[in-house]
Amino acid sequence: MTVLVTGSNGFLGSALVERLALHGVRHIRCLVREGSDRSRLERLKEEYPDADIHYHTGTLVSRKDPLEAIRGVDTIYHLAASLSGAPADMFLNTVVGTKYLMEAVISENPGIHVVHVSSFSVYGAANLPAGSLITEQTPLETHPERRDPYAFVKWHQEKLLLACQKEHEFPLTILRPGVIYGPHGSAVSGRVGLQFGSIFLHLGGSNILPLSYVDNCAEAIVHCAQKNMAGVSVFNVHDDDLPTSREYLKSYKRQVKKVRAIPVPYPLLQMGSRAVEWYHQYSRGQLPAIFTPYKTANLWKGHRFDNEKLKKTGWRQLVSTQEGMKKSFDYFRNLK
Amino acid sequence: MKTTLKTAIVGCGQIADGHISEVQKLTRAEVVAVCDLEILMAEQAASRHGVPRYYDKLEQMLEKEQPDVVHITTPPQAHLPLAVSAIDAGCHVYVEKPFTPSYKETRQLVEYAQEKGRKLTIGHIYYFDPPALTLRELVGQGVIGDPVHVESFYGYSLGGSFGKAILGNGTHWVHALPGKLFQNNIDHLLNKVIEFVQDERPVIKVFSDIRRTTRLGDIRDEMPDELRLMIQGSSTTAYATFSSHIKPAAHFMRLYGTKNIAHADFVSRTVTLEQEPTLPSALGRLLPAFNMGKQYRREGWRNVGRFIRSDFHFFAGMHNLISRFYDSILNDTPPPVSHRDILRIAWMMDEIFDQINRQETAT
Repeated sequence: MTVLVTGSNGFLGSALVERLALHGVRHIRCLVREGSDRSRLERLKEEYPDADIHYHTGTLVSRKDPLEAIRGVDTIYHLAASLSGAPADMFLNTVVGTKYLMEAVISENPGIHVVHVSSFSVYGAANLPAGSLITEQTPLETHPERRDPYAFVKWHQEKLLLACQKEHEFPLTILRPGVIYGPHGSAVSGRVGLQFGSIFLHLGGSNILPLSYVDNCAEAIVHCAQKNMAGVSVFNVHDDDLPTSREYLKSYKRQVKKVRAIPVPYPLLQMGSRAVEWYHQYSRGQLPAIFTPYKTANLWKGHRFDNEKLKKTGWRQLVSTQEGMKKSFDYFRNLK
Repeated sequence: MKTTLKTAIVGCGQIADGHISEVQKLTRAEVVAVCDLEILMAEQAASRHGVPRYYDKLEQMLEKEQPDVVHITTPPQAHLPLAVSAIDAGCHVYVEKPFTPSYKETRQLVEYAQEKGRKLTIGHIYYFDPPALTLRELVGQGVIGDPVHVESFYGYSLGGSFGKAILGNGTHWVHALPGKLFQNNIDHLLNKVIEFVQDERPVIKVFSDIRRTTRLGDIRDEMPDELRLMIQGSSTTAYATFSSHIKPAAHFMRLYGTKNIAHADFVSRTVTLEQEPTLPSALGRLLPAFNMGKQYRREGWRNVGRFIRSDFHFFAGMHNLISRFYDSILNDTPPPVSHRDILRIAWMMDEIFDQINRQETAT
């Protein structure tokens, strides 16, 4: 069995390659760009020599490279996505890259199992009442253009895959993780707040933080893929015993470093978001609309999250949330 | 006579966002459609900016939309054929820099637009940035005196989103340009020079280097990232620096005149003057620092005023350029950048890249 992992040298990608190796998968083909940092994959190659971890050098933003990358592959783990940059570039690298990958699948190997790592950001939660439970049945966003560029491109990426699956009926497994965290990842998610000069604006307050420790997330991806389900299967991915944003920040301050944080209560945040949106329009874009009431409601309205469907498949958290936070904070403390 | 213009954009990459936003700020123009070979790229641009229609075929867009102006924001290798198609459809054309990959193609396009009676401009946005406009006013008022020498500096960050895209992909179109990274950027360096070095063919001495130490084993390793130019005209000289390593990535020009030296900073949007001391001896050395402080305070408050009036946007220069280009179309007046300047810059680029190639061959 040969599997292809896109985005393999990223934070989640390298954790996934390790989980695949631990599950006994052999012939793990890692799609990497020329000149990209492969240090973590190199370590895995040494640690798991039997897994036959090897590279396929190329880019998804080409019609030729994906054709070669998928040759002889049984399952594609599609993790590649831009996390930052100019919106048009993010779209090109994420959505157009996915289109070319799927064109290759359809022309070369239409029965291939595609395992796609999506995001919570595809849900349209802004208009749901506070306290609503976000499940796999929650409607997807209806106004992706009103969200941030990451949510915009992840929504389009998933839409493209679903449309493609509907036409060609290959097995498609979609995993929608919340906040993936751990050593080498981001120390404090944007769901917790925003660094503004020397001040940290704590925006999350009592919102539940849908954490997914990187190894738990990688395990969920392998686990769901190995169920080898036909049709489309969608799973929310997050851990149990989730902290609130306030609890996470408190632990971070205690275990990593002091942070000058100013809590911004939700009503005040909504007022501020309205002001930012108004000024953005009034000044014709002199300052970016990083906050709007719509974006704010999506992230900080007080939604709850559900991973019951994932657990029903038999997935269990490898690393407890308490332990995951400790490992993560130990890493960031030692980075200083 | 027309009072509003229909605009179409061809090429929906990063810079197209700036064009769409700036046209949408004008009351006398509307972006009616966008086009990209990759339909998804056209769709995303239309969706994010509220543009009513999108296409993946230029001919189809030109036929259905009948735009008055087409902005070409594709990679430069495609500029000539796309601009010719737009001109054939009766459109005026704004071509992003670099205008084309060579002087030959540039001349071809300029002559074609002249023959067909269509307006043409190039994306020399910093030529119309507030500091450049202020400096031009000072020159017009005789404050600087006769220009003697110009210094132009353009810093570039390879760690930015475009720099990362270039370094992350050996097949990026920038690597296929004769002047690679330089060609995509030094319009911004040279248009500040040619305003004061008016010769058709000034003498140019070129020094270029690759300062990056990481080697990727492909064409990217051949991309120079540091450029120094010495330019000699009949009455004015110039230095020009393009650097990918100097931090911060400054962007300024200094104009040395027979009366005063002007410093126009395009990052902080300030224009200051170094003047002859008015007092003798030690007092003459004491006062200039206070004088500079006063000038920077004045410029700072001027920028605050602009900010309050919502006139402090990132693409102020592009906005001014588009606005003047559209005025030239509506009033049938000359375009904001002369064809002569477009051609002179294209010739200088050819000369610079020829010298770099000769030096590389020699070593």
